[in-house]
Amino acid sequence: MKIAVCAKQIPDPAIAVSYEGGAISRPEEQVLDDTDRYGIEVALQLKEKFDAEVIVLSMGKLGTQKGIQQALQMGADKALVIEDDSLVNANSLMTSNVLSSMAKSAEADVIIFGTESSDGYSGVVPQQVSRYLNLPCISYVKGIEINDDTILTRQTITGSEKVTMPDKCVISVTASGVEPRYPNFKDIMAAKSKPVEVISISSIELTAIQNQEFVEINSISSDKSGEKHIDEGNSFNLIIEKLKEIKAI
Amino acid sequence: MKSLIIGETSKGTLSQGTLEIAGKLQSEGLDFHLVVIGSEDNPKIGGDTFNATYLKINSEELTLSSVADNINKIIKENSINMILASSTYIGRDITGFLSVDLNSSPVSNVVNFTLSGDDVMTTNSIDGGESEYITKVTSDYKLLIIRPKSFEPAEILLNENYESINIESNELTTSVYDVFVEEKTGPQLDDSKIVISAGRGMVEVDNLKYINELALKLNAAIGGTRAIVDAGWMPYSQQVGQTGKTVKPDVYIACGISGATQHQVGMKDSKYIIAINKDEEAPIFQIADLGIVGDTLNIIPKLIENL
Ligand SMILES: Cc1cc2nc3c(=O)[nH]c(=O)nc-3n(C[C@H](O)[C@H](O)[C@H](O)COP(=O)(O)OP(=O)(O)OC[C@H]3O[C@@H](n4cnc5c(N)ncnc54)[C@H](O)[C@@H]3O)c2cc1C
Ligand SMILES: Nc1ncnc2c1ncn2[C@@H]1O[C@H](COP(=O)(O)O)[C@@H](O)[C@H]1O
Repeated sequence: MKIAVCAKQIPDPAIAVSYEGGAISRPEEQVLDDTDRYGIEVALQLKEKFDAEVIVLSMGKLGTQKGIQQALQMGADKALVIEDDSLVNANSLMTSNVLSSMAKSAEADVIIFGTESSDGYSGVVPQQVSRYLNLPCISYVKGIEINDDTILTRQTITGSEKVTMPDKCVISVTASGVEPRYPNFKDIMAAKSKPVEVISISSIELTAIQNQEFVEINSISSDKSGEKHIDEGNSFNLIIEKLKEIKAI
Repeated sequence: MKSLIIGETSKGTLSQGTLEIAGKLQSEGLDFHLVVIGSEDNPKIGGDTFNATYLKINSEELTLSSVADNINKIIKENSINMILASSTYIGRDITGFLSVDLNSSPVSNVVNFTLSGDDVMTTNSIDGGESEYITKVTSDYKLLIIRPKSFEPAEILLNENYESINIESNELTTSVYDVFVEEKTGPQLDDSKIVISAGRGMVEVDNLKYINELALKLNAAIGGTRAIVDAGWMPYSQQVGQTGKTVKPDVYIACGISGATQHQVGMKDSKYIIAINKDEEAPIFQIADLGIVGDTLNIIPKLIENL
């Protein structure tokens, strides 16, 4: 079995996002999106059971490749990556178009995603890739049990439901249910010698088009400059007074 | 602009998100066709001022790709060029599928839009609502995924006047079992006047008993941050924020919540925000009307006692 897991490098989330001409500014050093650790964890659990090969697919500015390394450190076997100027402000469909081609060339049976990236959060890339590849889409997976069959638990609006994982499919994994592993020193060293193959844009048949023009970013003054009080034991009174004042009680 | 709403059912009628999109289109004076996805029998989803099609799915099958095929047909037959869905699980799945068929990338997380000739200008709220990002969609097909609570819901008299299609499974259909429905009693996050939310600053899961007691006294719904939902303190259906629910109650009480932008995006439009946090610098205070710097575990029990 071959498993592709799509993972994205993003700017350090501890630092406020900045934009250049509508695109998120990306420093040389980007990190692995936390959201994608859950998908990688699912891929690795499948790898352990079925002796599968796990291939990381990533699109975007490569820089120091720190985020790619972090994915390999967790235990993925190799990475296919692509960087091109024409993809700098790629919309979700272009991203999916590129990732689908990469998944095909990796000959992946199962393709795993996060549900929503931390910087772009379009939240539709897994669905789009399943459509491009004509594969079943098992979205919003929040739990996995691997026995003879692999049972996936999906989050739904009213609760949850279970499905048996098809042999070939796309899965998106929510940020709960599995506990992403942390690499140890040995894993970190081992990652350095794992292959990272850079793919050229010319090998991809790009049919998606740019259909969104960036217009502007406006800041909205949302500073409420409300009251702030240090609690000295009776601020409960203040809360009750306010609730009465605004007629909430 | 011929528009199509991808709607969903809830308790035998149209979901809140569907009504909100209908409300916006009505206020712009735009006609729309409504397709509604659901597994209920004979829901009230039709109306006299619009055409509706009910796409009935089987709750024991995951068959949304077949639903998308049907919607694609309706889009073509009715020369639709704008397609709007609510940012729900089903809404995102369907819009994702259709975007490939129509070769048009959707705009996600839309909180407002305006028409400008043949183009549509969309607004996304970013940085926890501190900035807005404006995009012009220029393709023939425009796909918009709308955040809940962005528009006032339409007030329409709903009836059973619609066409119904039973969705057939296709080669991509997967069967579903062990369907679990979370019990939801008491005030609901979506429509409660008061919401009390807990964060990691409640320190331990057992301390949520204070939140429950306070909610009981104030007849409030209970929410939480992703941090505590991930920790298993609360079911996901109670998560407030970017990947959870959006709420706009009269009063929002944030208990031990730092106020990350991903949380703010789901609650900052509440009318009156009260925050209790022991860290004076916590970002939640920037959007609070009343901020109390102190220990949740001291303040909340006293509050309950004195209400
Ligand atoms: C893609 C993505 C999507 C996300 N979606 C969401 C979402 O939908 N909703 C969401 O909430 N988060 C979301 N997050 C996570 C978000 O970034 C924060 O990590 C999360 O909101 C923090 O939760 P918290 O405030 O409970 O915890 P923390 O950030 O740990 O804050 C706890 C706070 O409690 C205070 N505190 C501690 N002890 C006490 C005490 N005894 N009394 C008073 N105060 C105390 C601390 O000062 C601190 O400010 C998302 C993140 C990503 C990357
Ligand atoms: N540039 C990218 N490279 C690799 N994977 C990506 C990329 N963009 C999105 N993804 C995958 O798609 C998921 C959802 O992202 P999004 O639809 O952008 O919110 C992410 O969690 C990743 O698994």
